[in-house]
Amino acid sequence: MNGWPVLSLVTWAPFLSALVIMAFGRSRPRLVRWTALAGASVSMAVALWLYATYDTVAAGFQFYERVSLVPSLGIAYELAIDGMSLVMVLLTAIIILAGVFASWTVKTRDQEFYALLLLLVTGVFGVFVSLDLFIFFLFYEIAVLPMYLLIGIWGSSGEVRPQGLFGWAFGRTGVGTKEYAAMKLTLYLLFGSAFILIGMLALYVAAGSTSFSLLALEAVDFDPGLQSWVFLAFYIGFGILAAIFPFHTWSPDGHASAPTAVSMLHAGVLMKLGAYGVIRLGMGLLPEATTQWVWLVGGIACINIVYGALSAMAQKDLKYVVAYSSVSHMGVVMLGAATLTESGLNGSVFQMFAHGIMTGLFFALVGLVYEKSHSREIFKMGGFATMMPGIAVAFTIGGLSSLGLPATAGFVAEFLTFIGAWSSAHSWWLFPAVVGAFLTSLYVLRAVRAIFWGPKSSDPRFQNLPDAQGTEWVAIVILVGVIVLFGVLPGLALGPIDTSTVPLLVRLGVM
Amino acid sequence: MGELVLHPSYPLVLESTLGVLLLAVLVVGLFRRGATDHVAGWLTLAGLVGLSLAAWQAEPGRVALEGSFVVDELSLFGKRLFLISATLSVLATLGLSHPSFRKRGTEYYVVFLASLLGMLVLASARDLILLFVAFELMSIPLYFLTGFLKGEDAAPEGAMKFFLIGSISSAVILYGLSFVYGAVGTTDMAAIPAAVAVADPLVLLGLALMAGGLGFKIAAVPFHMWVPDTYEAANSPFVAWLSIAPKTAGFLAIFRLYVEGVGTGALFWVPLFGTLAAVSIVAGNLMAIPQTNIKRLLAYSGVAHIGYLLLGLTAMSVSGAAMVMFYLVAYLFGNMGAFFVVQAVAGSEGSDDISTYRGLARRSPGLALCLLLFLLSLGGIPFVAGFWAKLFIFWAVVEQGMYFLAFLGAVLTVVALYYYLVVARHMYIDEPESPHPIKVPGVLMVAIGACMAGIIVMGVYPEPWVQAFMRVAMTLFSTT
Repeated sequence: MNGWPVLSLVTWAPFLSALVIMAFGRSRPRLVRWTALAGASVSMAVALWLYATYDTVAAGFQFYERVSLVPSLGIAYELAIDGMSLVMVLLTAIIILAGVFASWTVKTRDQEFYALLLLLVTGVFGVFVSLDLFIFFLFYEIAVLPMYLLIGIWGSSGEVRPQGLFGWAFGRTGVGTKEYAAMKLTLYLLFGSAFILIGMLALYVAAGSTSFSLLALEAVDFDPGLQSWVFLAFYIGFGILAAIFPFHTWSPDGHASAPTAVSMLHAGVLMKLGAYGVIRLGMGLLPEATTQWVWLVGGIACINIVYGALSAMAQKDLKYVVAYSSVSHMGVVMLGAATLTESGLNGSVFQMFAHGIMTGLFFALVGLVYEKSHSREIFKMGGFATMMPGIAVAFTIGGLSSLGLPATAGFVAEFLTFIGAWSSAHSWWLFPAVVGAFLTSLYVLRAVRAIFWGPKSSDPRFQNLPDAQGTEWVAIVILVGVIVLFGVLPGLALGPIDTSTVPLLVRLGVM
Repeated sequence: MGELVLHPSYPLVLESTLGVLLLAVLVVGLFRRGATDHVAGWLTLAGLVGLSLAAWQAEPGRVALEGSFVVDELSLFGKRLFLISATLSVLATLGLSHPSFRKRGTEYYVVFLASLLGMLVLASARDLILLFVAFELMSIPLYFLTGFLKGEDAAPEGAMKFFLIGSISSAVILYGLSFVYGAVGTTDMAAIPAAVAVADPLVLLGLALMAGGLGFKIAAVPFHMWVPDTYEAANSPFVAWLSIAPKTAGFLAIFRLYVEGVGTGALFWVPLFGTLAAVSIVAGNLMAIPQTNIKRLLAYSGVAHIGYLLLGLTAMSVSGAAMVMFYLVAYLFGNMGAFFVVQAVAGSEGSDDISTYRGLARRSPGLALCLLLFLLSLGGIPFVAGFWAKLFIFWAVVEQGMYFLAFLGAVLTVVALYYYLVVARHMYIDEPESPHPIKVPGVLMVAIGACMAGIIVMGVYPEPWVQAFMRVAMTLFSTT
């Protein structure tokens, strides 16, 4: 298969199935689901093939493809992956496959739902595989925009309260809250993309307006003043997507309102896209600015970890708990990157993967629990383990991974990050990171106990609830399996990751 | 003399042919008094299609009237844009069901063509007096056309407001023009670059005054007050044209007066146009948010678009000028398309209120998708023309190191997307009030289809357009 456009295949397979669904899927629910599954399976299969054939000895960018698009401006459709993007592609493929199964029961307007979901995934794949900054940006926009309709149409209302300036502006139009969450999320992310666009253009112009290629821009030694502000623009732009404090508020509202598969994709993959952008473009292209600003990136990451965990503790709605835990865990990702050490950076990328799987599992399970009990109120539910043992066990495994128990993927990620933080120039970062891990175990165990293992609720709504069934199992089994597999054999992911973090650190001059 | 005014090689051939068309429509109308059909409209349309094709064949490089009238790359760009937009507008006008357009159709089309004639002349004017006369020939029919449906409440008010403000702006332009003439002693624009180069205060004062007058014409903030009322009062096909053609005329005049041949002297105007651009972008976008009438929404968003165009101008570079042209064409297709969909919905539902668009995606999926794409193009989203337009403008501005203006423009596009997405929400998320699809007249469907083709072709394959506009912009900055 060498020489084949395999990366294009991964990226566009979901898009093709979306086209088929839009063309033939009207009132044919089975066709819609099987086509979506086919698209996701092709991506999954090719992602596995990529993983198996990626040459970790040669390292660097592989599976290169290039087609010139706008030659006069130096824009080309240029794709390639290195170890870090390989792991991200694998993550995306797993999550969308699980997401297709998790949305099997969507009833209203399922044709459009699946088409938009697959379009969104095309954007995500595209971001991870593109080498040309411009194409990167196009895919980024594709990944952001369908979210508006996905949350606005299929989301759930009544759980979010409009607050603050944005709430005032939006409250004037007098509509329900899923529209509010959808609009808030979309505008926050587009606001970020405005920063990314200007930063990209500035680098492009400074490099002589000839190419948007990452490889060409890497070779340029940018002026330190330019580097400094472009890094901040990238950090804010991508950081909004990675939910850095204080730009994180779109994320709990958005994730709590979104339908199950969209929450899975968004928290599981899209937020990683932000961190990926900071590492690949911010740190990769602007080495001097990186060493200049790591104190800020790491400091804010510490706030994220502790503040996100404290916020999660205060929530009564289960989906908000998971959403705030994402804010906290994304702090771990950013902290690992800011340590500028090999173990920290590896931990950061590994945490992207681990948290993606874990939070995907959480949202899938919360969706199931809600579907069966019509409740997300933690302290009203109780003793569900007797009725739905399968969901209870899966949720507990996810929770243990979230708090970093050994033999789960979460442990490896946090451990590496902690080592990185301790051996970095700012060793005090270890303290908030450990406090965050402690708080995480508090709110996770509390929620798990209250819902599943605690005393049985006497509420008549919560009697005789069924366990997961049929296709619902598939999503759960895939995700739990991956968590345990990568917890026991972390080298599966760390091998490829290491081949791309070491060159980055060499470039930054710290190794 | 002795030249045949309709011969293809005659520099004024487009203008004289348009004059003949105007007279033909008038005569046909005179002989068919009391007729209630669309013959005048179809005749106009046929003539405009022919003229558009002829404009594509025209070659630059000819001069008439002792240098006051030139056919160069810039003028051809303007003429083509005017003719295309006029054709689309007439096409859509034929889809209007209001009886006035059949009973008094001749009046409408004759006046419409007169305004178009003014624009064509203006595109070629290299003389201050000719420029001013062309401006008036363009503007006065516009006032009439705004108030064409004189029986309706809003029309006379909108027309009157437009007329008063338009007249004042003409007076201001004339006032500024007199300073320039007084200082350089000739009405030939070729004398301006030298006077700007030595920073002659009278010339600079005159040009600054003219910038104010032109600001009214293109509706930049703070000279925009007439826009929403005028748009709301007039019929949609005309507003679609009004939103692009006279604005383009204004930009052509700006290119001629402030940029062409001036070289680095043009940098003098950066603070002026930069301020106008920033204020227009911020104010236009913010004022669009609370609108509940879609025409008023498009009016305010149009003000913001003028700001982006001025932003490109502020770069005062070849790429800046080229990207202004790209933006104008992208805006033509996106904005006219949006107004045509508005016309279709208003024709069926009788209202321009945004709430009328509830559930449009369920009632007429095709129409809703068209409006969505037009709005996304206006908002600057990839794969439709508007994205490249915004991107190119930012690129040109970043190239000149004006990072702050680029940031401001990029951030405010998010505000614009907010109010465009509110419309999308009504169409796609809300439930429809009635299940019936919207009936769209055939001609209108053609017009919408043409605009759709425009934004998609430009969005997917911008390369040739960029090349062409770059070539036009080169001629502006070559100092020969």
